[in-house]
Amino acid sequence: MTERTKEQIDVCAAAELASGEMKLVETPEGVKIGVFNCGGALYAIEDRCSHDDGPLAEGPFDAEACTVECPRHGSLFDLTSGRPKTLPAYQPVTTYPVTIEDDTVKLEVS
Amino acid sequence: MATPETAAPERPAEERELAGINADYKEKFGFHDPESGYAYKAPKGLSREVVENISAYKDEPEWMREFRLKALEHFLERPTPQWGGNLNQIDWDDIHYFVRASEKNTQSWDEVPEDIKNTFDRLGIPEAERKFLAGVGAQYESEVVYHQVREDLEKQGVIFLDMDSGLREHEDIVREYWATVIPPNDNKLAALNSAVWSGGSFVYVPKGVKVEMPLQAYFRINTENMGQFERTLIIAEEGADVHYIEGCTAPVYSTDSLHSAVVEIIAKPGARIRYTTVQNWSQNVYNLVTKRAVAHEDATMEWVDCNLGSKLTMKYPSIYLLGERAHGEILSIAFAGQGQHQDAGGKIIHAAPKTTSSIFSKSISKDAGRTSYRGLLEVAKGAVEAKSKVVCDALLLDEHSRSDTYPTIRIGEDDVDVGHEATVSKIGEEQIFYLQSHGLDEEEASKMIVNGFIEPITKELPMEYAVEMNRLIELQMEGSIG
Repeated sequence: MTERTKEQIDVCAAAELASGEMKLVETPEGVKIGVFNCGGALYAIEDRCSHDDGPLAEGPFDAEACTVECPRHGSLFDLTSGRPKTLPAYQPVTTYPVTIEDDTVKLEVS
Repeated sequence: MATPETAAPERPAEERELAGINADYKEKFGFHDPESGYAYKAPKGLSREVVENISAYKDEPEWMREFRLKALEHFLERPTPQWGGNLNQIDWDDIHYFVRASEKNTQSWDEVPEDIKNTFDRLGIPEAERKFLAGVGAQYESEVVYHQVREDLEKQGVIFLDMDSGLREHEDIVREYWATVIPPNDNKLAALNSAVWSGGSFVYVPKGVKVEMPLQAYFRINTENMGQFERTLIIAEEGADVHYIEGCTAPVYSTDSLHSAVVEIIAKPGARIRYTTVQNWSQNVYNLVTKRAVAHEDATMEWVDCNLGSKLTMKYPSIYLLGERAHGEILSIAFAGQGQHQDAGGKIIHAAPKTTSSIFSKSISKDAGRTSYRGLLEVAKGAVEAKSKVVCDALLLDEHSRSDTYPTIRIGEDDVDVGHEATVSKIGEEQIFYLQSHGLDEEEASKMIVNGFIEPITKELPMEYAVEMNRLIELQMEGSIG
């Protein structure tokens, strides 16, 4: 088994991701990830609802509650943990660490 | 049982009694009352204004008004489902979405308006309450007109209210659980219910409280071209136990009505909830219902779902087994006669280790009726040692009837024990002959075979309902031979 190295992706300039906003990025492997700003705290989840694998990150985003709602069937996901707060999804989605370095939002993927 | 030698030429008393019951649906359940004293009847059709009016009329909090309006958008955006039964004949603009028959919901039977009281008297509701129920709610059109729960249960903290009162009196609990099991955009009909919901039951059973006798709600549609959209939320706290029963009928009209409920159930660790439905809508009602439950650790959830009436039923009660050792059971009976399509079944999702479940479905079709079993069994990755058994049996009573089975099984784990059995059978001439040789006529023999076929499910009903169920089946069976 080979250990995968951690990889950083530049998302955008920090100023471009204000509170209440979301940026969608894609890794070189083609994985789409949504990066969210909940009142200054940054979170990232995969852009895939665990219910039926449809897109997730562009659904209604509530920065105050730090949740995103699946636009297809309405499951509400906690962005801090990736866990669904409502059905029909019941499995968590993958989360990724986000940092700001040199005024740039960086996403850590592996 | 009479033998051929001793059989009297006259029909036995029991059968004469059954013949009386068989008078027909129209007389027993299918009558309707005048609407002259109604408090409010929304114009036909669905719009933002109608939804806002319902919310304003009920004097709801702002979050509920917003919830309704958002749900309306989901409803309008979604296409009508093209699977299951044929929904294309529903004219969404030709429906009254809110009809209030009485100005108030009362706890005194004497205060219920005369016509409505007579209706429920004819349906036997107050009598059932006196005999064997812990609480009863009676919904007429869009709202609940009568509600009562036994005092000793109230003292133990059991809440059994109509949903409108539940929201008013226990907004904090309602808001915590509302739409967490079935979000408004789960599907088009759930969105519709979320936009225009009215009535239904709110049940809350505190930790450790066991409600020994069932709680019952009875739903009645009276108006022509009406939509009834009740919303039910049941929460059983840790170790609590409750049985909820619902029944429903409507007048026979030449135009169609719509019943689209949403039922959300939460069984906390170690709780046990049984939800029994005896659905006997008239054959001009579309019955499109979303029912879903979550069962946490060591909890048990049971759906007992009997579908006899309606023009088209699309209903698949589901259970999400979210905690270890949670158990789910779905028992489903569907009976489809002429002009009926029962598209029923169930869904169970094993999302935790050592969860167990079973689905038993029995369907009967006659006179070109159609039954479909549509089910899902899903075992998620990580739900090791899950066990499940799915059995669906269909009985066809003639050449013109139809039965379909659409089972879906998704297994994401190796260490599981899952079984699926399905049978389709016809009443065999040999079976009929055997019973006739014991003195039954052909119709009695058929009834006996059908009752034996569904007995594994009717035995799970409280006695009064099992008797009623058998009578209803016999009513449906009348004239099925020859």
